[in-house]
Amino acid sequence: MWSTARDVAAGDLVIIWQTRELIQPLLITPGKDLNSRFGYYRHADLVGIPYGSKVGSRNGKGFIHVLRPTPELWTMALPHRTQILYLADIAFITSWLDIKRGSSVIEAGTGSGSFSHSVARTIGSVGHLWSYEFHEARANKAREEFSLHGMADIVTLTHRNVCKDGFTVEDTVDAVFLDLPAPWDAIEHAKKALKKTSPTRICCFSPCMEQVLRTVNALNDSGFTDITMFETLLRPHEVHQLSPQSLTQAVEKLKKLEQKREDKRQHQIARSSKRKRDDLPETDIDNVGVKRLRTQESEEEDVCIRDIPDAVVDPGQSANQPPPIKISVSKVSPDVRGHTSYLTFARLVPTVPSKSVSIRE
Amino acid sequence: MDIPDCEDATSALNSFKATTIQSGHTVLLRLPNGETKGFKVEKDATISIGRVGSFRANELIDHPYGLTYEIRGKELSVQPPHTLQEVEETDATNELINDGEFVQPLTLSEIEGLKKSGVHASDIIKAQIEQHANYSMKTEYSKEKYKQRKEAKYSKTFSTVEPTIYNVCDHWFKKDQNRIRDIRPDTLSQILNLANVRPGGRYIAVDEASGLLVSAILERLGGDGRLISICDVDSPPAYPVMTLMNFRKDVVTKVHSSLNWATAQEDYTPVAAVTQESSSEVGKSERHRIRLDKRKNAADTLLNAREELFAGEYDALLIASDYDPLEILQNLIIYVAGSGSIVVQSPFSRPLTELQSKLRLDPNYLAPSITESWLRRYQVLPGRTHPTMNTSGSGGFLLHAIKV
Repeated sequence: MWSTARDVAAGDLVIIWQTRELIQPLLITPGKDLNSRFGYYRHADLVGIPYGSKVGSRNGKGFIHVLRPTPELWTMALPHRTQILYLADIAFITSWLDIKRGSSVIEAGTGSGSFSHSVARTIGSVGHLWSYEFHEARANKAREEFSLHGMADIVTLTHRNVCKDGFTVEDTVDAVFLDLPAPWDAIEHAKKALKKTSPTRICCFSPCMEQVLRTVNALNDSGFTDITMFETLLRPHEVHQLSPQSLTQAVEKLKKLEQKREDKRQHQIARSSKRKRDDLPETDIDNVGVKRLRTQESEEEDVCIRDIPDAVVDPGQSANQPPPIKISVSKVSPDVRGHTSYLTFARLVPTVPSKSVSIRE
Repeated sequence: MDIPDCEDATSALNSFKATTIQSGHTVLLRLPNGETKGFKVEKDATISIGRVGSFRANELIDHPYGLTYEIRGKELSVQPPHTLQEVEETDATNELINDGEFVQPLTLSEIEGLKKSGVHASDIIKAQIEQHANYSMKTEYSKEKYKQRKEAKYSKTFSTVEPTIYNVCDHWFKKDQNRIRDIRPDTLSQILNLANVRPGGRYIAVDEASGLLVSAILERLGGDGRLISICDVDSPPAYPVMTLMNFRKDVVTKVHSSLNWATAQEDYTPVAAVTQESSSEVGKSERHRIRLDKRKNAADTLLNAREELFAGEYDALLIASDYDPLEILQNLIIYVAGSGSIVVQSPFSRPLTELQSKLRLDPNYLAPSITESWLRRYQVLPGRTHPTMNTSGSGGFLLHAIKV
């Protein structure tokens, strides 16, 4: 598939990582440039550097990471032609269907090729993937992509409506994956394509429960067994640093603030009685202004005790105190994917070896 | 025209892992109550599965996995695959059915008698239904459940379960999830994909999950690639999970090497130096020579594994361990290739949270991120589709980062 060499070479497909949200594929073509928010780069500059390198831009505007493509990175970077499958579903389907080195697999439809890349990686050069796409332009685009990614030997792509016309192989594959609007129309065809003498498996990927129910009936009618259904998701966690606040400290702060306010009040009383005693002439407007200012000050103090550094409360003590302990905590990210699709699985039981006892009526 | 020419490859795969049941395999059997259990299949031996019965192992040998059998006497008969039954809607309700009423005149000893006289399970259940006072009042759904419960009790059937990594992980997760560090099948599948495990790849694993991680990587390599695992015991551990995979041992030995934390240190020197004398030296007894050869071989294997580890450029590092993950990374990260994957698993979020907060300040790691896996299984019976009532609470946590 993709390059396994240590260093980037001309003609390699690399993944340019700028931020978590900005990950893009790049075909290294010396002579071409890469311009982005994070600076200006020449493709030629990337040739010969090891994969995983951090590269600074020519105009000092930022840097990029040059990564080796993996199906997982490709899923994050690929040009979307359709709704695509993501890691959690891909991984789970691969595992349930027992897709591994040497497996023969069917997928329909190809879509944007997110699943295809992952399967091709997992089955390796001794396995084979038959991929079907009924949308001609998408099929051509995917074929082009597979050949560019060195997968042409592993993947056979056919432009065809499998619900109407079935698959191109019979008694050949270990697993079938159907990501179709009406998978139930392809299940009989799938049964034909699956091997007869070893255990085989099927997965239908549908976003709606109504589709699942029709699929289950079709699977049952076609003689599939162990029909089961799953939903799987990845819940990303975000990490925060927290310094636990001591309640004792808050009590101390509050006490000291109260004391300070009381001191201030006493000070004011003392001053105003001094003024009265001195009988200094004072305009009303000035007086109101000063009062308003003082009220604001005290309100701020009331609201913000947590924000006042210890030094304000007790400047003498803070130097001796250890820095506040930080602990790492995590919580589920607030915006997460809540549903992708229902994964309906079933198994086809192999035919009984001829020498053994006949099936009981 | 579409079929690729991979005759040689297929035979190589068959030799890595047989596709049919063979003598010497440990085979998972699914019992009538839904549980799976491992049984050793040895030619000419008898396999006994408790209440369900016993049979001759030879009857399973050379069969493909996934078939359902019924034990009749000592013989096995293959059953047709189980299909789902439509349930008819009726007006029945449980309005008049009370708990604790005497409804079953058939006594336990009478049932035992029926079983002993060799009456078929379905006939015992039929007899129970006929005698049951309130059976006809039950809803069709309830009748189905009743029959299923009785079948789980009296049926003499079982199925063979193919040792796919999914099935083996699922078996262990249900049997004793602590021993596999709570790694659920979905989490395991994510570990493998995040670490880009592929045929021909080279990997380092720290597996304290009873060999689940090592087994899964070996399964995905399919005999092509390299795996070095590092353990905290003196000699390579016998992984209980791997027993169920039924890998061919000689192929595993070619792909998999094991080091321990001491021998994985670059400054490690063996306490007792291996003598360089050749085994052909005269004047030594046969036994002494064999012993010397063995020692020499072990030392060579160790030396090779060390050299291989220190050569570095591994595709990924996979960790499922109770040791401080940061320390593990500090030990092993230099052997991971640029752009390689690091995947750390933990049943707890805290160790990964701590690790993430350190890795994100370290320029060697790109985008360390933590995920928790979520899985929901549904019962899909016609007219009775809903999520299963009991489910596992969490599939554990993963930290993934890219080495840069």
